[in-house]
Amino acid sequence: MTRLSPATPDPLRAQGPRDHDTSRRQFLKLLSAGAGAATATRLDAPFASAQATGPVKLGVLTIRAGVAAPVGAAGLRATEWWAERLNKGGGILGRQVQLVVEEESNPKDTVERYRKLVLQDKVEVVLGGISTGVTLALGPVAEDLGTPWLSWDGTTQKGVEETMPNPKWTFKSVDNEVEAIVAGILTPKYFKGIKTVAGIGNDYSYGHDCWESYQAVLKRYIPDVKFVLELFPKLGVTDFSSHIAAIQQSKADLLMCSFWSGDATIIMKQAAAVGLFKTMKGVFTTAGGVHDSLKKEFTPEGLLLGYNTMYFDDPKASPLLKQFVHEYKARYNEYPPYECDHAFFNAESYKVAVEKAAGAGKKWPDKAQVVKALEGLEIESLSGRRSWREDHVQMCNFYQGITTHKNAYDFVTISPIEIVSTKQAMKPAGSKLFDWINGWKV
Amino acid sequence: MQKIFNLACGSFYALGAYVGISAVQAYTSAGGPPWLFILPLAVAGLLVGGIGVVVERGLLRFVYDRDETFQLLMTFAIVLMMEDAIRLTWGTAPRSTAGLYLAYGQIGVLGATAPVYNLIVIAASLAIALAIGWLLTRTAFGRIIRATADNRDMAEALGVDMRRVYAKVFTLGTALGTLGGALVIPATAAMSEMGIELIVEAFAVVVIGGLG
Repeated sequence: MTRLSPATPDPLRAQGPRDHDTSRRQFLKLLSAGAGAATATRLDAPFASAQATGPVKLGVLTIRAGVAAPVGAAGLRATEWWAERLNKGGGILGRQVQLVVEEESNPKDTVERYRKLVLQDKVEVVLGGISTGVTLALGPVAEDLGTPWLSWDGTTQKGVEETMPNPKWTFKSVDNEVEAIVAGILTPKYFKGIKTVAGIGNDYSYGHDCWESYQAVLKRYIPDVKFVLELFPKLGVTDFSSHIAAIQQSKADLLMCSFWSGDATIIMKQAAAVGLFKTMKGVFTTAGGVHDSLKKEFTPEGLLLGYNTMYFDDPKASPLLKQFVHEYKARYNEYPPYECDHAFFNAESYKVAVEKAAGAGKKWPDKAQVVKALEGLEIESLSGRRSWREDHVQMCNFYQGITTHKNAYDFVTISPIEIVSTKQAMKPAGSKLFDWINGWKV
Repeated sequence: MQKIFNLACGSFYALGAYVGISAVQAYTSAGGPPWLFILPLAVAGLLVGGIGVVVERGLLRFVYDRDETFQLLMTFAIVLMMEDAIRLTWGTAPRSTAGLYLAYGQIGVLGATAPVYNLIVIAASLAIALAIGWLLTRTAFGRIIRATADNRDMAEALGVDMRRVYAKVFTLGTALGTLGGALVIPATAAMSEMGIELIVEAFAVVVIGGLG
């Protein structure tokens, strides 16, 4: 599914709507006009790009179906918001931006669409990519095609191991397990006397990696902690009664849950129905996409809850974030999740890098110059300062805190808010995750 | 009875769930008392089952006498279309009925806590099973259904209007699916792909119970 902005000329439509009375002669005339327009566009394209005038095309890859569709929608909405503001302000170096949106689905089809974006649509950069299952396959293709690719949420990690430590064109999201590491750091601070822990996560790489990382971190702070139960239901399950019964029977002091889609809401509801958190502490990393569905009626106060890398209700929010949250709520009647900030940062850092690479001459830079400018670049994003580490990994802050009902919403928010930087909670470039955690001075 | 393997049963279940949520939300915003929410939920679930007659008359009747592959393709196409229709209508984010699940409170059974709503759903499914049993064994319509399932040609020769029976039975099945979806939703959340989840379980049911 390709979507061009409404401004894109359609050679046949330009002649006005066709009706059933069109004669053969008119039809031929229409056809030739259409073909003429198409030829003109084709001849025009390389010329325009060489001159670096006219709109600049940016490819966007986003998930539209399945459990991650809300995440994809949030990323796309933020990118569109960015593009609208930018175009109103004159674009990048005077060029308007035009988004060419393609769907992220399975690795094979997404790689095809990525190729189409670069080779056929001739985009200057590709933004997006959510599932690491897909982006793992995109990495080598992006390197091969020589166009910068800035990933919203996907990494090139196999499990917790980096597969592309020195990419040229690929820019990656934060490591998937960071939210679990942050939760591991904060657990002993807020929950004293934890001796036994049960864990539940989705049965795929993310769920297992989060659980392993959380255990490794918690063991550093509470060496004699025991992990008494681990459950891995598959993604998309809607009934957790049997899992909750098993968690109750384990009599653990604390439950760690890394669910991030609708299942986080469902387990919260079903756990509340049997009063699970009356006797047990809870840690929900959630990856930040379900916050407004955690209603007060069934989400207790006192849980550790994660918002990933952007907290919409941050009292210290920048005017930019406040404006974004306000306009997002007005347009979609939802509060924006973290993916908006990943997407905004990607797009904005591209713009800043182009301007930086162009220098005083304001000549449109080539792609390699843009990549050079992106390395180490730090800019103001929605959630505050964000940067690209030298090995092309996003650096930002993670927001977690204790759930509270003291707010104006019908869902829980967090107070106090803990902000942990990836400088503290993400493995440094070139290191092994568990060696790094085990080397901490606690 | 129709000897058709209907993959779309999961879609009807999902549709019932979404329509149930909308009905309950409309009911709550109109100021209805929370403890009666099960009524609009069940009524909406049953009514939307009426889509069964449209699907049966409009699509399925063309594939009865064809190879099973056609039936699978047709019903799978319905699954895909319904999933997209749900996404267009209700969006991609999971939807739920907020905290109404606990409107009836919880009770302690043998040291465990169970929400009363779960017991109501169990009672409702027992009642539905009994009602279907009564329909099949004690009514004229039930006898016609059993006769048709046993020998379609003979039933038709004896004057049974196949088209009506098929439409009625299919709609009844659809209504059970949509009602099931509506009743399950307070305890969970609706997601557009929930229909596909159910198909796998439906396969198991067909293997154990056979096409009836």
